[in-house]
Amino acid sequence: MEMFLMGLCMAVFGMGIAAVAFGAATRSESSDSAVQPALSLVKADAAAHFFSDRVAAPPTVPPAPAWPVPIEVLLLQIENHVRMEQAAAESFVAFPTQALLHSKTSSPFVN
Amino acid sequence: MTYDLLNGLLSAEAEQVLGLGTRLIVPSGTELFRLGDPADRLFLTERGRIRLTLPMQVRGREEDIFVEERSPGQTLGWSALIPPYRFTLTATATLREAEVIALPREALREYLAANPAAGYKIALNLAVVIGHRLQLFQTMWLREMQRTVEVHS
Repeated sequence: MEMFLMGLCMAVFGMGIAAVAFGAATRSESSDSAVQPALSLVKADAAAHFFSDRVAAPPTVPPAPAWPVPIEVLLLQIENHVRMEQAAAESFVAFPTQALLHSKTSSPFVN
Repeated sequence: MTYDLLNGLLSAEAEQVLGLGTRLIVPSGTELFRLGDPADRLFLTERGRIRLTLPMQVRGREEDIFVEERSPGQTLGWSALIPPYRFTLTATATLREAEVIALPREALREYLAANPAAGYKIALNLAVVIGHRLQLFQTMWLREMQRTVEVHS
């Protein structure tokens, strides 16, 4: 009986060690990527090498510049600028003076 | 309706000139003529408004930029009377439908040659239309030049 219990304890102990070893082995595998520094990104213009384990990133499209105003608004601003300039020019042509020639308008393009 | 091109003409003369033309309906947003098109007709605006535009590069795209607007009674398309007889702007009806009277160049020339008194008045009126445009754009050009000089000096 004592021999049987001793054997059982040895068996349980051995299984425990095996379980810990298995857990350690699987944990170290999953944590490798977290511990290791991340692979530096391959430049988009670098050609992918056949035997390289790094994969070239697809060519990146340069992001569209962020314009301060939509083009429709810009076109409207241009039209308003032309109208204001024309009105100023009409005033000058009707009564030509140096002051009227260089009169200011409220156009955002000149302020 | 009075037309700037027919100022000072006797009513019979004005009727004769208008009789040379054809009335055209220009639906909203439709081009009456385009920059570079052969110019063989002069137009009198009868109803609605016509926008005159020029192409300009805006953010890498070609856009028609507003230059002037013609309202009823005003003349447009005088490139039809001046070599090389090509339109130098694009004309489009605005948000409302427009109506114009199209005067063919050859018919107008024949009339002016046969009626020199009326032809003289029309030539003077045309000079006023062209001269006004020149004065306006000369002034606008100078204003822009002044700003350019201020920015770069």
